[in-house]
Amino acid sequence: MSDRADEYRDATSGAAAADRAGGGRPPGGGRVPLRAPANRVARKAVTLWLLEQVFWSVVLVGGSFFLARWIDADRWSWLPLWLVDGIWWLPVVVAVLVVPGAIVEPFWRYAVHRWEFSGDVVYARSGWISREWAFVPVSRIQTVDKTQGTLERTLGLATVEIRTASHAGSSTIKGLDYEVAAVLAEELARRAEELRDDAT
Amino acid sequence: MAGQGYGPPPTGPALRLSPKVLLTDPIRMLPSLFLPLAGVLFIGGFSPGSFGWAAFGVVGSVVFAAVRWVTFTYRIAGDRLELTRALISRSVRTIPLERIRGVDVSNPPLHRLLGIAVLRVDTGASGDEKQEGELDGVTVEEAERLKAVLLWHARARMARRAQAQETARASAGPDLAAAPAAGPSAGPPGAAAPREARHEVGETTPERVFFVVPRKWLAYGPLSGAYLLTPFALVAGAVGLAFQWGSEFRIDGRTVVGAGEWLWRHPALLVGALVLLVLAMPVVGTVMYAVFNWDFTLRAREGYLVAERGLLTRRSVSLERRRVRGFELVEGPAERWAGFARAWAIVTGLGDSETRGQLMPVAPRAIVLDVVGEAIGPIATGLRAHPVAARRRRLFRAIFPWLVVAACAAVLAVAWSPIWWGLAAPALVLALLGVPLGLDRYRSLGHTYDGARLSVRSGSLRRSQAVVEERAVVGWTLRQTWFQRRAGLLTVVAGVGAGTGGYEAIDVGEAAGVAFAAEVTPGWLAPFVATETAERP
Repeated sequence: MSDRADEYRDATSGAAAADRAGGGRPPGGGRVPLRAPANRVARKAVTLWLLEQVFWSVVLVGGSFFLARWIDADRWSWLPLWLVDGIWWLPVVVAVLVVPGAIVEPFWRYAVHRWEFSGDVVYARSGWISREWAFVPVSRIQTVDKTQGTLERTLGLATVEIRTASHAGSSTIKGLDYEVAAVLAEELARRAEELRDDAT
Repeated sequence: MAGQGYGPPPTGPALRLSPKVLLTDPIRMLPSLFLPLAGVLFIGGFSPGSFGWAAFGVVGSVVFAAVRWVTFTYRIAGDRLELTRALISRSVRTIPLERIRGVDVSNPPLHRLLGIAVLRVDTGASGDEKQEGELDGVTVEEAERLKAVLLWHARARMARRAQAQETARASAGPDLAAAPAAGPSAGPPGAAAPREARHEVGETTPERVFFVVPRKWLAYGPLSGAYLLTPFALVAGAVGLAFQWGSEFRIDGRTVVGAGEWLWRHPALLVGALVLLVLAMPVVGTVMYAVFNWDFTLRAREGYLVAERGLLTRRSVSLERRRVRGFELVEGPAERWAGFARAWAIVTGLGDSETRGQLMPVAPRAIVLDVVGEAIGPIATGLRAHPVAARRRRLFRAIFPWLVVAACAAVLAVAWSPIWWGLAAPALVLALLGVPLGLDRYRSLGHTYDGARLSVRSGSLRRSQAVVEERAVVGWTLRQTWFQRRAGLLTVVAGVGAGTGGYEAIDVGEAAGVAFAAEVTPGWLAPFVATETAERP
C-alpha cells in the first residue's frame, strides 16, 4: 500500500512527504493526535479558492454599495437619521470585514487541506478556521465521483467525492490536479469493487 | 429453511388492485373536490345547470379512479416487483426483491370497512421517496400473501448468499429458532395477535411476542410531550377552516374578525377558553396518543421485528432483523423525571425511521430496556464522561446568548425607554435557567465502546442515547471548530448507514476522541494516529 502512496506523492509534484508530527502543522494549535495526511492538494487550488473568494467579495461589497446608493437616494424614513447619513460607510465596513478573510482563506486552506489513500482507507483533512478530518474505508465506499466545475476545468483541477451509505461517513477532496483526481478515483473504484462489503 | 430449494421465482401474472378502490379513491378525493363543487353550486345558484356541472365533477373523479385502476398493474417478475402505470406514457417502476428491506401493511378506516389494505414496500433508498413502492387498495388476503412472498424472496436470497459465503453471522440466525417460547417480559399471549399471518410459502413460523403494551400505560403518553398541543392545533385548524370555507357559506372575513374583536372585549371568556384548552391538553393528548398507539405489540416473526399499533388505522411495520444495527433510547424531560423512555430501532435503509422504526412507545425505562435488550441487544452502560472543558462550553452556550440579549435590552432600556426592561428581565431569567440546563446538557454527554457496539449520548432536555453495532460504521468524521480547538475538544461523528446517518460524540477530549474512533475501528485509524504528540496538560 505504501508504494501506492508514493505514487500519489510523486503525482502531486512532490508537494510534501508524510509529515511527522508537528512537521507540516498549520498555524494555530494541532494537539489532535493525528498525523497530517501525506499529500497536499494542487497549488493551483489556491488560485481556485482565491477566484471564488474574489467573486463573493465583489458580490457582497457591490451589493452593499448598491444598497447604500438606494438608501441614500430615497432617504428611507424608517431608518434612524444617523444611519442614513452615514450609509456610505456600509460598503467600506463590508469590504473591511470580507476582504482580509477572502485573501487569507485560500492560503490557510492550502495549509490545512491534505489527503492520503493508504491501507485501503481514505484520510482527508479540510477546513480553515474550523477543521475536519474524515476517514473513509474503501470497503464501505458506494460511489466515487470525479467532478469538475467550470472554474476547476479552466485551472485543470478536479474534485473527488467519496460517498458511503452515510453523509457523515463520506468525504470530498477538492482542488486536486486533474490527473491525480482521475488516478485516485479510478483506483478507489477498483479497490471498492474488490473489497465490496455488504455490511450495510 | 436451509433445506428448501431456492430456485429463481417464476414470473407471476400481472395483477390489478382490488376494484374497491373505485369506491375509496373518489371518497378520498371528496375533501379536495368539496370546495370546487360547493363553489359551483353557489355560483350557479343551485340551478339545474350547476347540479349538472357538480355531477360532472363527481362522475369525472370516478372515471379518473377507474382509469387509474385499469391502467395500473403490478406483478412479480423473476426477482423483481414491477409496478406498471400505462396512462398516457408507460412507466414501469422496478424494485429488485433483493432491495426490499421491509413491507408495511396498514388499514385506514375506510379501507378496513371494505376489507382492503395499503401495502408499502420499503427499499434501501434513503430518503428518496421515488424508490418506494405503494399498492393502495389490495385485498387484505392479497396484502398478506404479497407480504409473505416479498419478504420470503428477500430472505431466500439472503439464505442463498449465506450458504455461498458460509459465514455465520452471529446475530441474525439463531435468535429466532432457539428463542425460548416465553421470555421474562413476554406479554400476555391472549392479548396478542388477533390476526395470524398467512404464509403461502409453507414454512413453519416461529413467532414470538416480545411485548404487548398494557392499555393502562396509554395514560403515560403525554409524558413524551407529543400530542399535548393537539387542542391548540384543533382550534387553529378550525379558525383556518372558518376563514377558508367562510366565503363559501356567505360568511366573509369581516364577520370572523368581528367575532374575534367581540371575544377580545370579553377577556373573561377568552381566558376561560384558554384555561379550558390548557385543561384539555392532557386529556386530548392522551386520547390522540391512545388512538395512534393502541395495543402496541412488538413481536419477532421469521427474521423480522414486527411492530403493530393503532386503533382506527392499524399499522404494522416489519423491520428485517438482519438490517437492524442498533437502537436509540429517547427520554424527554418529563419522562426522565418519571423514569420513562421510548426506543427506536436503527435500521439500514429505513426511510423515515423516526416514526416507522419505533420499538417501544412511552413505557417505564426498565421495561423498555428489557424488551429492547431481548429484541436487539443490551444498552451500553458506563459511559465515559467528557472533559470539564465540555461543561464550560455547554454552560457558555446555554447562558451567553441570553446574557447578550439581556445586556442589549438593558442598554436600550437605559438609553431609550423603560419598556425594554420587559425584554431584559425574561432574558436574564432565561440566562439563569441556562445554568441548570447547561449542567444537564453536560451530564447527558457520554460515549463508550464495549467491544461490539459503540454508544453515544447527548441532548438538551430531550436526552437521546444511540447504541450502534461496530460493523454498521461506514466512516468517521472528526470536527473541530475554532472554539473547540481552544478548549482542546472535538466532535467525533460515527458515520452509520442507518438511522440518521451519523451519531455524534460532542465535545470529546482531542486525544480521547481519536482514541475512541481508533478503538472501534483500529484497522482504519491506526496508520494515521500520531504515536508521540506534544500532549499539553
